[in-house]
Amino acid sequence: MKAVRVVAIAVLALTALTILGAHYLAPAGYEQQFRETPQAAPSIHHLLGTDDLGRDRWARLLYGMRVSLVLAPLAALFTTVLAGVVGGIAGYFGGWTERGCKLLIDLFLSVPWLFLLITVRAVLPLNVSPEASVTVTFALLGLLGWAASARVICAGAKDMMKSEFVWMARASGFSGFKLIRLHLLPNLRGALLAQFWISIPVFIIAEANLGALGLGVAEPLPSLGSLLRELQDAVMLRPEPWRLLPLAVLIVVISSFQVLLNKQEVRT
Amino acid sequence: MLRFWSGAVLRLVAVMLMASFAGAMLMRIAPGFSSDDQELNSGLSTQSLEAIRRAHLSDANVPRFYAQYLASLVRGDLGTSRSLNQPVKDLLRERLPITLVNLAFALAAGWLLGLALAIAAQTWNIPTLSFLANGLSGTFISTPAAALALVFLLLRWPPAFAAALLVFPKIYRYAQNLLQQSSEMPHVLTARAKGAGPWRVLAWHVAPIALPQMIALVGVSISIGIGVLLPIEVVSDVAGIGQLAWHAAQARDLPLLVNLTMVVTFMTVCATLISDVAQRSFVRSDA
Repeated sequence: MKAVRVVAIAVLALTALTILGAHYLAPAGYEQQFRETPQAAPSIHHLLGTDDLGRDRWARLLYGMRVSLVLAPLAALFTTVLAGVVGGIAGYFGGWTERGCKLLIDLFLSVPWLFLLITVRAVLPLNVSPEASVTVTFALLGLLGWAASARVICAGAKDMMKSEFVWMARASGFSGFKLIRLHLLPNLRGALLAQFWISIPVFIIAEANLGALGLGVAEPLPSLGSLLRELQDAVMLRPEPWRLLPLAVLIVVISSFQVLLNKQEVRT
Repeated sequence: MLRFWSGAVLRLVAVMLMASFAGAMLMRIAPGFSSDDQELNSGLSTQSLEAIRRAHLSDANVPRFYAQYLASLVRGDLGTSRSLNQPVKDLLRERLPITLVNLAFALAAGWLLGLALAIAAQTWNIPTLSFLANGLSGTFISTPAAALALVFLLLRWPPAFAAALLVFPKIYRYAQNLLQQSSEMPHVLTARAKGAGPWRVLAWHVAPIALPQMIALVGVSISIGIGVLLPIEVVSDVAGIGQLAWHAAQARDLPLLVNLTMVVTFMTVCATLISDVAQRSFVRSDA
């Protein structure tokens, strides 16, 4: 299993390098059209061929990876902060505040996350600029994905409030923000980091689901999800199997994340 | 016991009401709520267009809409879908069984596959089998539901299989971790040292410890199943409530979406409640 973990780390490192070097590795911009060669087969000029609009698929894959794999961690960070605030407040204050926060958490958890995400995104406008669609998509992931993490943080904060070191800190005159900053946050850091790492692959898959349904990032900006829309042209998959590459890349990257998370390789 | 049940039912009703109200509120504040595709239809008369606009205006005040909706709900009237021009009750009657059948199949197959692989990997302890099972679960846990549905559409396989394959990794991973933890307990090691066979150890020593926690996973798996069925139904054109919810959201059909949110919330909360009760009673009878 150690070998699998080494491979997973190598895949993620290679992915990170590819994202950073997308500008140098891509033969053209993601929106540049080669009008004389639409739907071209893979060649030395276009490693994965071109799409219906004559855009280089390899370039779009590189930039799509950049969009998905940079913005998913940002959304995960946002959701972790939100979960930390709601869960932390619930655990710290207890009583009615805790009950109110838990009701809010239960409310979010009572509707299946993917169901909620897709219906909410479908309600929001789709004919917006690519930049706005990216912001809306990933902000929505961050806004709707915090509840499960908040429950974990709430339980952690509640346990900590009963611990001896917090009692001693209170007896020494620590309270309010000082107690949170010096005692609660440093001890909740592990749980918060774990929630952050767990959220990243979940958000990448969620964005892919939205993209495949046409609710994700707007054209011409690519993302791993929006590239999956090419799979809808199912009859073309047999003669052009390279169209499946974005899906393969997605599965390999997420699997690598899962291998590391599953074996608790992430230092929390 | 009575206190537990009354509390649970109250919680269920409160969560359902809040979820549906939040859904209605969200739709109301969404841009373009008052616009309708039908207004672009040049074939419609001025009176028809005016009627469409009036229908939108009647839904614009969400608290009033919701109060009217609840009053109708008490009388057993779920309202009429504006976009499909059909009573919501009829739509649910048509579509809900399709989703429930697919959900039941996905859960049964997902649980069967997940548990079988976890038990086989734990009992026989063959590295190749564990590697293959981990690889399989890793692949499907990393695959977006919509993309898998597209692949299944291409292969002309039943969409419920895709849902089963997306439910299976959660069951497999949880069951495998649980069986592994249970197998390392002192009394299990003692039973093994005394010469008990792997199946006997599993049935008499490991399963009783792992079962209550596995029951708790039932509620979660139902929630996962409903979640993955929505994109699968949309992509595969299955006429279930997932596809209906998609249509309701896109058409900004307030009565339909409020009812669907309520149905989905009811299913999820009930499943969690039932698995909680089963787990409690199992632990109590075990004690």
